Order: sequence, then structure tokens, then C-alpha cells
Amino acid sequence: MAERKELGMAHEVLSPWAEADPIPLKGISPRVPDLAGRRIGLFASNKPAAPRIMDVLERKMKERFPSSEISRYGAEESFLVLQTAGKDRDRFEEWVKSADVIAAAVGD
Amino acid sequence: MEEMGTPTVSLVNMGFMNDARSAASSRGWPSLRFVAETVPSECSVAEQIEESLEAVMDDIVAGLSRPLTPEEASPKTKEGGSLSRIVFKGTLKEVNQFFYKRGWGDGLPLIPPTEEAVAEMLTGTDLAPDHLVATIIPRMGKATVERIAINAVMAGALPTYMPVLIAGVKALADPASSFAAWEVSTGSWAPFWVVNGPIRNDLHINSGSGALSPGDIANSAIGRAMGLIVKNIGGARKGVEDMGTFGNPGKYAMVLAENEEECPWEPLHVAEGCTPQENSITVSFPNCLWTLWPTATDEQTLLRTLADGLFPSGAGQTCTSVLLLPAHAKTLASKGWTRESLAEFVNSHARPGVAKDFTSPTDGRGEVRVIVCGGPGSWIVLTKGGKGLTKKIELPLHWDKLVQKYKAIVPTYARY
Repeated sequence: MAERKELGMAHEVLSPWAEADPIPLKGISPRVPDLAGRRIGLFASNKPAAPRIMDVLERKMKERFPSSEISRYGAEESFLVLQTAGKDRDRFEEWVKSADVIAAAVGD
Repeated sequence: MEEMGTPTVSLVNMGFMNDARSAASSRGWPSLRFVAETVPSECSVAEQIEESLEAVMDDIVAGLSRPLTPEEASPKTKEGGSLSRIVFKGTLKEVNQFFYKRGWGDGLPLIPPTEEAVAEMLTGTDLAPDHLVATIIPRMGKATVERIAINAVMAGALPTYMPVLIAGVKALADPASSFAAWEVSTGSWAPFWVVNGPIRNDLHINSGSGALSPGDIANSAIGRAMGLIVKNIGGARKGVEDMGTFGNPGKYAMVLAENEEECPWEPLHVAEGCTPQENSITVSFPNCLWTLWPTATDEQTLLRTLADGLFPSGAGQTCTSVLLLPAHAKTLASKGWTRESLAEFVNSHARPGVAKDFTSPTDGRGEVRVIVCGGPGSWIVLTKGGKGLTKKIELPLHWDKLVQKYKAIVPTYARY
């Protein structure tokens, strides 16, 4: 009887879900009207499939936009490192700023 | 790349789209553009990459050239983000279903975190309930003492586990643990917790027979509570942020104490820099555990067995933990082996794999930890994964009194 009463009892419970400080939301950069004649950057993370994907994408971009210049960046460290002052940070920033648009392969 | 002002589109495997969107919005970039493609993970088959990319070329071009919507250019914060303190009222069954549907559980029944239960859990620390221990990735959720206690109640923990859990949170939040690399990886790395110091006996944390099996409140609830903390405070949810491909049963609980009394060497935490009287928790992140059976128990057979069992390390498997029975440890120690020389033995017999084509090639060498534990029998257990670190456990001033209150809670098994 006591067990049945316990099972039917109402419990007011607290939330296990933590609060987090609100993060300012950021809008993305304006797009270009078209990719012809642009500097197209192709970023590959240090995961094995990323450079293979970018090899294919580079060829396809050249086919579609023969007047565009394609540049590649291959991360040698994890993307987490690139977000901090890693040794490749300067090289990475210089490359990003040299591109008009970037297509990135970052995951697995 | 967007932050530097260059319009970017990211190619994401369809299975990772929820993960990508969650990662983007949690960092303040809700309108990042993604193209969902079907290239299998880690793909090396040219035809599959070709076919998958051909299908999304128009989307890639559009992602870089389609004008922004007003929301993409200037995203607005959604209203009503915070939860009220009492989040639900219902029966045990209703509470469990409510929590499960919210994704706050781990699939097993939960203890309702009522004000009363949480208040009792908070007696396990003298830190204020609103004291912020750390923030936990990926969501940077605030691990206040109270929030830790709420998850501890849900896991069935006793108040005496609070100091261990607080130290565990600090360990995960310490960048030196590299938890960010392990928490959400497809590699399904599970936190493996080893407790050292007098607290082991205060809490009855099993170091002996079946230490890694279910049955001990401390071993089970500490691990389970940390898993709920990672999920509900850190925001790492299976299939959304936690992308473990197969998952890992160790994510329920993988906790044991070292058998310091039977260990012929200095305890693990002393080897990691603590004093013998200090309490500590050491975390590593293995994604595999395998068991070796020595055909005999003499020094040479033990070492040959260990060497035979050292399979090539894969990506991320940079730390080998060797779980050694007290009897085996004593045999080796009597022949002059130390923690350091055993670690060197393991590394000297490490071997690279045949499939060495990876961006982080390894010759198999890495960190090695020896943990003396286990019950009657003659086995050796190895785990491999991320190294993690050791964190000291701080006790509240009223610790002795608190321990006395809960120390009698031990199982008694009836003979049959």
C-alpha cells in the first residue's frame, strides 16, 4: 500500500538543464552575386575525407567557373587549434582574407 | 572564416546536420550556411565522393551567391529562453517520461530531483548552491553546485559523492583534459574515472571484484551522474552534439578505485603528483576495453601476454591504461618493475598498424597508466583512448560527520 502511494505521489522537480550566458548573435557576410572571376577558397580540415572532397570540388569549380582562381587550404591541426593562437593561425588568416568566398569541409 | 568577413558555406554530411546547426548556434552563428551532402564519413572512395558532390553543386554555388535574408544578416534572439525553477510536477512515472521526452535522461529510471532531495544532496558540500564550478562544453552550460546536485539526485548518488562530482566537473572543464576533443567525437570515447585516496573507503568505491560491473552505488552513480552532467549541463546529446558512431556502454558508468592497499608501487595519484593522503580523481577517455588471459602468472608470461595484447593504436588512442591485478603487480614489482619501466615496456612493444594512412600517424607509443585493481582471477585488462588528467578532490569541513551518516549503506547478499 505504501509503495502504491509512493508511486502515485506528485513530485515537484527541478530542472537539470543548465543555464548558459546568452551569446551575441552574429549575421553572416554578404554573398557575392556570382562566382565567375572570383577567388574561390577551398578549406579542408585535417580529417582524411576533407582533402579528397576538395580535390573533387576544385575540379568541378574549375569546370563551372573557368575564369575563377581556386586556392586550397589544408589544415594540419584540428580546427579547434586554428580557432586559437596555433602556429598555423597567421597562415590561415592570410589565406581566408585572400579569398572572395570559401567552401569548407570541416567534419568527419 | 565568416568572422573574418569571407562568405563561407560548409559541406556537412547529412547525419551531422543537427550537430553542425547546434554548434553554430551555440557559438552565436545561427545563420551559418551549410550544404547537406551524402559523402560517407571519412570516405576514400572516389566514385562516392564524385556522385555526392555532383548532387549538391548547385546548393554550394547558391550558398555562396544567394542574397542574405534579413534574418541571416541580423539574427534575432529568441524570446523565453530560461526555464522556471520547478519545471514539472507529476508522479514518478510522469516525471520520468517528462524528462525522457525532453532528452534529459539516459534511458534508465531517474530519481525525481525534488527540492527536498536536492537539499539533501547539497549537504555533501559546503560550497554555496549558486557557486559556479565551471562551464562545460559544447553549450558552455553553467555547472553550479546546485545543478550538479540535481543531476546527482537523478543518478541515484549519495550526498557524499558531491566532492567527487565537483572534482570531475573541474577535470572536464580543464582545457588540459582535452575533453573538447573526446566529448562529442564519432570515436565514442567514454570518461573512465579512477578514484584514489582515503575517500575510496569512505564511499565504498569498489576496487576489487567486478569493479567495472554494475552493483556498487558509488561506482555506478558517480559515473552516471557525470554522464547526466555532460548531457544536461554541457549539452552533449546523443546524435545531436555527441556524435559517437556506435556509442559506448562506458558512458553509463566506468568508475573504479585503485587498490592502494595491495599496490606494490606508489598509488596512481601520487605518480600523478598528489600526496598519499590527498584524494583525487583521474579521468581518461577510452573507446575500447579488452581482456587478456595470461596462461601462467610468472613475470615472463605476464609480460608476453601484455605485449601480445598491444594492438596498433588508432586515431586518438594515445593513452593505454593497464588494469593489473594486485597479484600480478606484486609479481612484477618483485622482479624490479616499476610504473615507469612498465610504461616503457608497453611503449617499446607498441606497433604501428598496417593502415597507417592518416593525418596523425602513430607508431603506437603514447602515455601509459598502470592501475592496480580487480578481484580473484588472472586477467589483464587494457583500455585505450585520450589521456585526460588528475584532479584533487576537496572535502567539506563536515566530511567525517557526513561520511558516518551514509557509510552503512552497503549491500548484503543472501546465501542460497
